[in-house]
Amino acid sequence: MNKRWFGILSPVVLWLCFFMMVPMIAVVGVSFLSRDTVGNLVWTFNISNYTRFFDPLYLGIYWDTIWLSVLTTLLCLLLSYPLAYYITTAGPRTQKWMLIGVTVPFWINFLIRTYAWVLILRTQGLVNMGLEQLGMISEPMQLLYTKGAVLLGMVYTFIPYMVLPIYVSLEQMDKRQLEAASDLGASRWSAFWRVTLPQTKSGIMTGGVLVFVTTTGMFVITDILGGAKSQMLSNIIQNQFLSARDWPFGAALSVIFMISSLIIIWLFNRALRSKYESAKEARA
Amino acid sequence: MNKKKWFAVVLTGLFALTLLAGCGNSGKETLNLYSWVDNFDEDMIKKFEEENNVKVNYTNFANNEELLAKLKAGGADYDLIQPSDYMVASMIKQDLLEPLDLNNIPNFQYVTDRFKNPEYDPDNKYSIIYTSGVTGIAYNKKYVTEEPKHWEDLWNAKYKGKVLLLDDNREVIGMSLKKAGKSNSSTNDEEISAAVDDLRNLVPNVLAFDTDSIKQKMIAEEGWIAMMWSGDAAFTQAENPDIEFVVPEEGSTIWSDNYAIPKGAKNKALAEKFINFMLDPQNSAKNYESIGYSNPVTEAKQYQSEEYNNNHMINLTDDELGRTEWLLDVGDKIQMYDRFWSELKSGR
Repeated sequence: MNKRWFGILSPVVLWLCFFMMVPMIAVVGVSFLSRDTVGNLVWTFNISNYTRFFDPLYLGIYWDTIWLSVLTTLLCLLLSYPLAYYITTAGPRTQKWMLIGVTVPFWINFLIRTYAWVLILRTQGLVNMGLEQLGMISEPMQLLYTKGAVLLGMVYTFIPYMVLPIYVSLEQMDKRQLEAASDLGASRWSAFWRVTLPQTKSGIMTGGVLVFVTTTGMFVITDILGGAKSQMLSNIIQNQFLSARDWPFGAALSVIFMISSLIIIWLFNRALRSKYESAKEARA
Repeated sequence: MNKKKWFAVVLTGLFALTLLAGCGNSGKETLNLYSWVDNFDEDMIKKFEEENNVKVNYTNFANNEELLAKLKAGGADYDLIQPSDYMVASMIKQDLLEPLDLNNIPNFQYVTDRFKNPEYDPDNKYSIIYTSGVTGIAYNKKYVTEEPKHWEDLWNAKYKGKVLLLDDNREVIGMSLKKAGKSNSSTNDEEISAAVDDLRNLVPNVLAFDTDSIKQKMIAEEGWIAMMWSGDAAFTQAENPDIEFVVPEEGSTIWSDNYAIPKGAKNKALAEKFINFMLDPQNSAKNYESIGYSNPVTEAKQYQSEEYNNNHMINLTDDELGRTEWLLDVGDKIQMYDRFWSELKSGR
């Protein structure tokens, strides 16, 4: 960045830094305080909010949250990669329409789309009524308010976050390398595995991080489609700020969550990189 | 000047104008009313504005905690707020409310005795009831053929996967405490954990925990039997006539929303005038019938429609009200409630 640009951009940068950092610092600060009986903050420094997290209850809920997020991310990846691949093989006009198709759900409010799933899945919903009409079931199935419904809602909501980055990385790939691979006698599968996949890992990374991080912070879907029967860590955090009126504990949970997400992203990043780098080295 | 610059100038001008418009004032006195969504009949608010040549600025909060956070942050200039029972107690404790001058609210005499001098605000020093309701059992007669009389009926294995519970730790644990014949605001560790252990047997029956859209789940017949507020049950029955409501014999929880004036309100006199206006029997009849909640003014009966007067979910009997209990602040024990609640809902 040269000096001229710095002069123009600095107010924006400072503004952003300030409004990003101040709330973060506030959260970290509050996490070391304690509460009085009515829920007011008490200015005594202590780390008990952090030690409380290492209770089998909260660790278990944390594990559930991570597990659901990993599952969502993997399912999104499995569904998105073929879709993104298919889009890149289409002609430019069709591609444009397909991409619009992927982004259309974003134009409709997320809550409304989630409630639409309630209408589809409930006992008097589209699926049950349809199957009953066809005579395939005699009694409605309980599809809603189950773990499966939660997973479905998560994957549905976050798929576009995975498709778009993968599409971009596939689009930017040097197609000549695939021809080279086939000239050198690689099968189509091995060309995909050794040429396409490594070159699109930045897309997979970006998509994976986007889906994983947003899923861990999601609690609306577990409430609406899961009937609030399972708890994500975000539900626990929300309760601390509302009904339990225990802001310090809620803040501590948020900080723990933030740090652990960063660690997981870093590990994920490293695992992907080292795998392909070692593969590259082996080839070289 | 080139086009872009012109555009910037115009934009800045517009921005400045909107800022100024924000400060604009018609010169009328304004009552800043902060309450729940759709909690007043719009025509009655208009009538109050016209009679007194004032403006009512009605804004909404979604829950008591949001209201509390706004008041504690200061800066918000509200003249009149509507906290629930336990929140009134909490606000009094935190010195956030202005004492009411009952001499300015002569219509307070019309409030039924049952709702005067409540436990959460003895002698009505800081608050006057606006409306109230009771937690009971709503059930669909098509699927639940025997009238439920006890909370125990929710545990019935016949209703597996068809029971709806409120998504609220105090309500649900309080219900289990009442079932065991204890206070719904118990602070006794053994009582609370026994109540929670009992609830662990109820969880397999539960279809969903829900407060906001529990009505839709009953109307669409996803759930057969539910723990529900009386006002919501009245709404549900209007949409689906198969639904009935009972207040279990071992009693339940009662809640209220109240009028209160926050400390430092700029227009206390006008706020008191508004309370008095709304408590007038004729005005109240129109207001409560429009919003569909119970009216604490018994003298209003003669002005209300028969349909409203005959609705047993809006007009609970003395007997039903007599076996209810307010949820009182449990102090630090709320952490215990919260922890047990997380255990119950995560199946641990």
